[in-house]
Amino acid sequence: METRPYFILGDLLANAVVGGVIGGLAAAVFGPGWNMLLAMAVGMALGMALALPAAFGFVALFGAMEVMLPVMTTGMVAGMVVAMAAAERAIPLGAGALLGVETGIGVLIAVYLANALIKRRAPKWTS
Amino acid sequence: MDLVTKAKWDRAAKNFDVMAGRGPEQRWEPYKREFFSHIGSGRVLFLAIGTGLDIRFFPPGRKLVGIDISDKMLAMAHARLEAYDGEIEARAMDVHDMPFEDGEFDQVFTSCTFCSVPDPVNGLQALHRVLKPGGELRMFEHTGSHYYPFRWMMNLMTPLSRRVGPEMNRDTVANVQAAGFTMREVKHVFLDVVKTIHATA
Repeated sequence: METRPYFILGDLLANAVVGGVIGGLAAAVFGPGWNMLLAMAVGMALGMALALPAAFGFVALFGAMEVMLPVMTTGMVAGMVVAMAAAERAIPLGAGALLGVETGIGVLIAVYLANALIKRRAPKWTS
Repeated sequence: MDLVTKAKWDRAAKNFDVMAGRGPEQRWEPYKREFFSHIGSGRVLFLAIGTGLDIRFFPPGRKLVGIDISDKMLAMAHARLEAYDGEIEARAMDVHDMPFEDGEFDQVFTSCTFCSVPDPVNGLQALHRVLKPGGELRMFEHTGSHYYPFRWMMNLMTPLSRRVGPEMNRDTVANVQAAGFTMREVKHVFLDVVKTIHATA
């Protein structure tokens, strides 16, 4: 588990910013005219595609895979969640961005937990 | 020598430290310090020394041969090579085409290398050849993941990432075994993606 404040705050910042931007964009792009399943699929794909270049900006500051994978997951999930919510009823840009930030923080917590679980598993080849 | 791979890393040399020098290296610092503490006093080969970012983690007083396919990377490494409190003989060389004798080395170290070697099993077999029987292979590598959605993402990223640098979805542990090494230990650093591998020839 990461314990250094610089990297924990960096992870939070990267996921909150990317989640917020993608949430805001999704709120702007999707609306009640969209089929919910289509909105979900397009939101996921767009979110992940946009998160990749955004992740590179944070990689140089906070780490490689430790930044790229959570940020891409945040992009995918934030795009999906906000697009689906917007397909149900119109969402203001700010509310979409806030939902994206919350999603980003949730994803980061999930990745930290997954990391702790995977690292705790006994390595298969330990002699 | 694989001129396509050489050209790719020659192009990457100028900006390599900007992308890899702060975030990733600082994040991995405690793990890399522990990893490189295993450098022994025998004959040691370090594959893909790059711009020398890892040299600061080497214990002092060791003698190593450091190779890299890109002479531009080695040129960037010059100051770090000079500053090391030990001996590093740096040479431009392709892992597939190493002029070393069979069983010449006691240990081989790699660091984020086998995401980029074009034919990884062949490259690992070349390392197996230059290691003494029972000699150690120690790797700090990022690989693909067995877990979704990470596995899926890394498969999607690889066609893009391989154009400018590494592949993201290699199964390096399986490649090490396929090359004839005996696996001793795999330790996860981040998820099952960043890891250290210890194997013997």
